[in-house]
Amino acid sequence: MITTRDKILSAVTKPTRYTGGELNAVMKDPSGVDMRFGFCFADTYEIAMSHLGLKILYHDLNDRPDTYCERVFAPWTDMEEEMKKHGMRLFALETGDEVTHFDMLGFTLQYELCYSNIVNMLNLAEIPVRARDRDETYPLICGGGPCAYNAEPVADIFDFFMLGEGEDIINEVVDEYIKWKKTGKKNKRDYLEKIAELEGIYVPSFYDVEYNKDNTIKSVTPNNPHAKPKIKKRIMADFNGAYTPETIIVPFGEIVHDRVMLEVMRGCLRGCRFCQAGYIYRPLRERKPDRLLVIAENLLSCSGYDEISLSSLSTSDFSGLKDLTDGLLKITEEKKIGLSLPSLRIDNFSLELMEKVQKVRKTGITFAPEAGTQRLRDVINKNINEEDIIKSTDMLFRGGWTNVKLYFMIGLPTETMEDVRGIADLSQKVLDVYFDIPKEERAKQINITVSTSSFVPKPFTAFQWAKQDTREMLIEKQNELKSAIKSKRIRYNWHDNKTSYLEGVFARGDRRLGEVIIRAVENGCKFDGWGEHFDFDMWMKTFDELGIDPDFYTARERSYDEVLAWEHIDIGVTKEFLMRENEKAKQAVTTPNCRQQCAGCGIRSFGTGVCYE
Amino acid sequence: MSNYILKYSRDDRVKYISHLDFVRLFHRTVRRTGMNFMFSQGFNPHPIMTVAQPLSVGVTSDCEYMKVGFDGDYTEQDIIDTINSSFPQGYRILAAKKVEGKEIDITRIDRAVYIVEVEYEGNADIDSLLKNSELKVMKKSKSGVKESDIRPYIYSLDKMSEDNDILTLKMCIAIGSVYNLKPQSVIDAMETYIENFKAGFMNIHRSSMTIGDKELL
Repeated sequence: MITTRDKILSAVTKPTRYTGGELNAVMKDPSGVDMRFGFCFADTYEIAMSHLGLKILYHDLNDRPDTYCERVFAPWTDMEEEMKKHGMRLFALETGDEVTHFDMLGFTLQYELCYSNIVNMLNLAEIPVRARDRDETYPLICGGGPCAYNAEPVADIFDFFMLGEGEDIINEVVDEYIKWKKTGKKNKRDYLEKIAELEGIYVPSFYDVEYNKDNTIKSVTPNNPHAKPKIKKRIMADFNGAYTPETIIVPFGEIVHDRVMLEVMRGCLRGCRFCQAGYIYRPLRERKPDRLLVIAENLLSCSGYDEISLSSLSTSDFSGLKDLTDGLLKITEEKKIGLSLPSLRIDNFSLELMEKVQKVRKTGITFAPEAGTQRLRDVINKNINEEDIIKSTDMLFRGGWTNVKLYFMIGLPTETMEDVRGIADLSQKVLDVYFDIPKEERAKQINITVSTSSFVPKPFTAFQWAKQDTREMLIEKQNELKSAIKSKRIRYNWHDNKTSYLEGVFARGDRRLGEVIIRAVENGCKFDGWGEHFDFDMWMKTFDELGIDPDFYTARERSYDEVLAWEHIDIGVTKEFLMRENEKAKQAVTTPNCRQQCAGCGIRSFGTGVCYE
Repeated sequence: MSNYILKYSRDDRVKYISHLDFVRLFHRTVRRTGMNFMFSQGFNPHPIMTVAQPLSVGVTSDCEYMKVGFDGDYTEQDIIDTINSSFPQGYRILAAKKVEGKEIDITRIDRAVYIVEVEYEGNADIDSLLKNSELKVMKKSKSGVKESDIRPYIYSLDKMSEDNDILTLKMCIAIGSVYNLKPQSVIDAMETYIENFKAGFMNIHRSSMTIGDKELL
């Protein structure tokens, strides 16, 4: 039979993005559940399916007999056109049903540049974009993930946010929803008041924001007795025992991370001052190697994947690394499975491990010194020094590696042109290491790639008050670096700073940006993370139309007394600590990592993790 | 090591999977079965398999063939049951046969039968079409788009039904390394040679592949 579905799918690229039916996708009878939940990721299938949080929460929710969680992703532009042509609304992958009247849609906010796609997806679902325009017949729209910690730019769109780790809180939210639904689903407000009392739930409409004449925020005040003055994030206190899915979906087409991902720990003990993940996921908590091996074997055998990778921040700090990799190597050798290693600190152990894992191919090694001079590395508390890099690269070159990638940021606080030229110097020193090794002890064809990205100050970091370099300044620094790199064997890649600029605006933005995002989508903006779709000029035109100066959010150094847009959110790490770190940064004084000495960041109050080792 | 010829089907649910994605899918299916397949040597060992006449995206079939090697001896029924229990829904092993040498050579498949449903306008006068001594259409080949006479490679073409705007055809045409003809080209010939005939969207199903008139399994 010839169907509309076939006509649509035959007209688009990568149709298996939209068909569902993958191995281990959960099929349920929707009429047999109380709650239909759409797990939404505002990007393509290949990116969405690579997200670990989705894998966890999808199965976590579907393990409940009363709930059906389906996946909802952003259709690529060709699919969007076909959908519009045939009058088809945004749909869920499992059943193919329209999501317009699901019970709840949960968006994961992984990066700021997905905001336009969220609005676009709601438009495609024919769901009113602003929370205040949605009555009880529409799904509740909620969000979580790293950007939820300052989701003010999209606060008017969402009914509520879940702050922190979702495994438990999402179940509490569903429990309350089902209770509310069974009593007739009378008033959305009743439900929101109920969950506002749960730890970790932020209902933006329950807070009034007042502004000063200079456009800074005067106050954020609860306007509802059920809303807490400060909303504290949630974490899994027992991470070793925390929920892990028994199974994973195996996509038909190739996705970005097409392998089993084994989450070995959460959080990071390093305290790099620019790194939002390093602060918001605190405290560091580990899983035990024996449990990880059971999870690994199970996921490999249920999926048939031939590759597994370890997932965490700074995996070298995982104390069970040796036991885990010994165990994993046994499995991978026997089953002919590839083990892909994350970037590890280079020492004898990791080199030996790399030898074992990559028997033939010596792929590239990545270092992230982040800054070109020791002074600036101390400013950002990146505890890696030149000697480490020289020693490690010497070991690598002698071991036969010849592809070295060096990652840096430009635009860091206190950076001078000398620091920028330091990037070229350090790269040259790495190249010299290679040439100092006698010819017969090194492999041929050295390749050094230097990449710079532009620093974006993020909420809940020591640099949350910092001024972001202007685009002109960044271009000047890129040019300086280009001319400072002399050798032809060093290649220089830089990141486009237009996207970094927009990211900077939203990262520390406030509620007034909501209308900009909605208007930008009306003006045609979407898929801002994709070079071929990103329309910077249109964004600038939209800011202009609404009389909002984007520089207000990026180009200003904020004072410690300024009320930050995210002041009412509590990640456990105190503002006082971040202030202390910022002051130490100005003095280029480093802070030891959590295992060396507690720096008193405040996260100890969560009663778990590295703080109690 | 023992070799088996597998006959399998794919239905609407999985018809948009490309050939390369199917190969990867089959590798993973094999790993899930826990059976001892023969692996290739080299850096990324993968199960050894040969697929006869890869199916185009969007086409369903109940007559696909592949050859696979096992390290060990399994009964034909074992193989059918084990792979089917690991296959994603939409794929199914229909038959398996152990082979010693090349008594069944899937690379020699030279004809295929398709059922084509096509939206159309005009009079689908098949009989007069087939009276033409040659049917020249533009056809894609390795060396680019070229005109080719496809008449000798249409072994049969019959109208199965004609309701409203949908015509259902059954065609037996050449496939394989000597001459490869796609159902689309036959529809192209109809548009060129039958006056006022216009075709629209079509659904294609492959119902048989043979060597001459001979079934493989």
